[in-house]
Amino acid sequence: MPDSVIPEEAGRALDAIQRADIVIGIPSYNNVRTIGHVVRAAQAGLVKYFPEFSAVIVNSDGGSTDGTRDEVLSASVDFSRLLMVSTTLTGIHRLSFPYHGIPGKGSAFRMVFDMARRLGAKACAVVDSDLRSITPEWIDLLVRPVIHAGYDFVAPYYHRHKYDGTITNSIVYPLTRSLYGRRIRQPIGGDFGLSARLFERYLSRRDWESDVARYGIDIWMTTIAVAEDFRTCQSFLGAKLHDAKDPGADLSAMLQQVVGSVFALMDEYQTAWSLVEASQPVDLYGFPYDVGLDPIEVNLNRMIRAFATGCRELGEIWSLALDGSTLRRLRGLTGNGVCQEKFHLDDELWVEIIYDFGCAYQRSRMNRGHLLRSLTPLYLARVASFVVETREMFAADVENRIENLCLTFETLKPYLKERWHTERAAAATLAGPVRDQQPGPPSTDPLEVER
Amino acid sequence: MILVLQQIFEKTLARLAQHLVTYVPPLIVAGTIIAVAWLLAVTVRWMVLRVVKGAALDRFLGESGLSSMLDRSGRLRGAALISGACYWIILAIGILTALDVFDTTLTSRIIEATVFSVPKLVTGLAILVAGFWLGQYLNRSTIIWAVNEGMPYPRRLAAAVRIVVVFVAIVVAAEALDFAREVFFAAFIILIGSAALASAIALGFGLRGTFEKRIGHPPSPEEGERERSLWSHL
Repeated sequence: MPDSVIPEEAGRALDAIQRADIVIGIPSYNNVRTIGHVVRAAQAGLVKYFPEFSAVIVNSDGGSTDGTRDEVLSASVDFSRLLMVSTTLTGIHRLSFPYHGIPGKGSAFRMVFDMARRLGAKACAVVDSDLRSITPEWIDLLVRPVIHAGYDFVAPYYHRHKYDGTITNSIVYPLTRSLYGRRIRQPIGGDFGLSARLFERYLSRRDWESDVARYGIDIWMTTIAVAEDFRTCQSFLGAKLHDAKDPGADLSAMLQQVVGSVFALMDEYQTAWSLVEASQPVDLYGFPYDVGLDPIEVNLNRMIRAFATGCRELGEIWSLALDGSTLRRLRGLTGNGVCQEKFHLDDELWVEIIYDFGCAYQRSRMNRGHLLRSLTPLYLARVASFVVETREMFAADVENRIENLCLTFETLKPYLKERWHTERAAAATLAGPVRDQQPGPPSTDPLEVER
Repeated sequence: MILVLQQIFEKTLARLAQHLVTYVPPLIVAGTIIAVAWLLAVTVRWMVLRVVKGAALDRFLGESGLSSMLDRSGRLRGAALISGACYWIILAIGILTALDVFDTTLTSRIIEATVFSVPKLVTGLAILVAGFWLGQYLNRSTIIWAVNEGMPYPRRLAAAVRIVVVFVAIVVAAEALDFAREVFFAAFIILIGSAALASAIALGFGLRGTFEKRIGHPPSPEEGERERSLWSHL
């Protein structure tokens, strides 16, 4: 049995409740503006769609000082105004406790999952506390596939502004899809439905005290679900409108935690991803419809400037990660100055950059934090190129553009396998000639077999 | 005259013979000891290279940046480092043992001085390596941070950080080795004082510019909001 992370006070509250079929987890940190709405939507969703099930809403808080926890405990729904046909048989409990450990969303989720296990929940859903567009239907869409269709992992599917979720669109979605062959459109969406089997699997793992404790949690959950063949689907939730996420958050740290988690899991699941050659669609539930979205301002000039500075100053670090030809092509982008309106970092070059960084991460030729943080100017260059390219495009065209990028990731996957193998072979050679000369059993490494 | 010359010649020959009798056997023994030590060192190096895998050490060397600091190509392996250290330690012990064979005041002094200064030398070397490593680590951290934050002159900033860290290491190493302590300490005070003065002047200029901007054109609420909100990357 893995160690429990439930605080003593929360344990007493759970003892009083004893059992719950559904647990809704809401991680928070200073979200007093929006969390009341999220709690009310969750409450209404449970009453409306799961009246026959016992349920608990758990707020796992990171030490808010703005009264977030009070807001959770005081938020209530006027059910007389909702004209409910059914009413819940058991009532819905609301709990709010601070989690312990590394501050971050991952640690908050860990406490939620642990509480769900303690309550013997059949399903658990987690939703962000900064959501403005959440409705009671979200709870239905995230929980029903688990309870009534036997899915283990329900990923969100939303409409988002073309410039919203740029790490998702330019790195995480295409890379995860190309590696594991599942087209989960919002792998780090933040709102998920989970079966008991899956959250128990998460709790049994020992890598919680890493980037998983912070922003890496979403991709970690998605990757484990697809790489270990848990039953996976998506639910259409409409629009994702939310408060600006940690406006002061450091982009480099965010990128380091998310991309670092993807790369770390690449090492663990190399047998799984190296066998995958194409991608398959994932079941989608819900009723897709068009929605209006908040406009998003991006500062193109600042992004291109950051890239140009990176090219000038980070060449030595990039040369440890990137292939020679990739580095030359990259430098060519700033060769004769940068024209903002014509700036273009093509798909192929971008995919090679990401694959090269993935291989460099495994090779450990430099500090991994430095490596991942040095990716920031390149990421900004890719976003700038995307903005220039899609400025006049509508949502459907932008989606096609992202689809093309995904196909490039899939087409160039042999390049990743080749480099991955070369790096590993080089490391083995340098580690000691005796091991190389010893005859061993036939290799079971799919990368070896393929070659 | 011839007799005198003959006597001098005979005495010289006698002295030479005495020297040969006194020093050649120890010289042969010393040579043999050094040869054996060298053979042993080579054998041990060869064995360590083949026995020690050092995957964890390789990872540490790579991730900490030590491998790229000690070897520009960044391909330095832990096994090579350990085997190299074994080689030089065995060879050094061999040389000291060989010197001891002569049993003279001079060799005894050399051996004594070497043995007594080993802990100090090792400490000093460790401080220097740690200082250079920390300097390189902070150099990279600073340059990446400065680029990502859009700071001016990232390379110069990183170089300054590295120089300060390495200089501190040199001062501490000099202190440990008891070598020109006052000189290094004075230089250290001058360097740190200059850095503090330069930072204060830069901060003053920066703040003046900021206040001028704010007093002249206070930001509108819309500007402030736009600057903060950017977009959600995740």
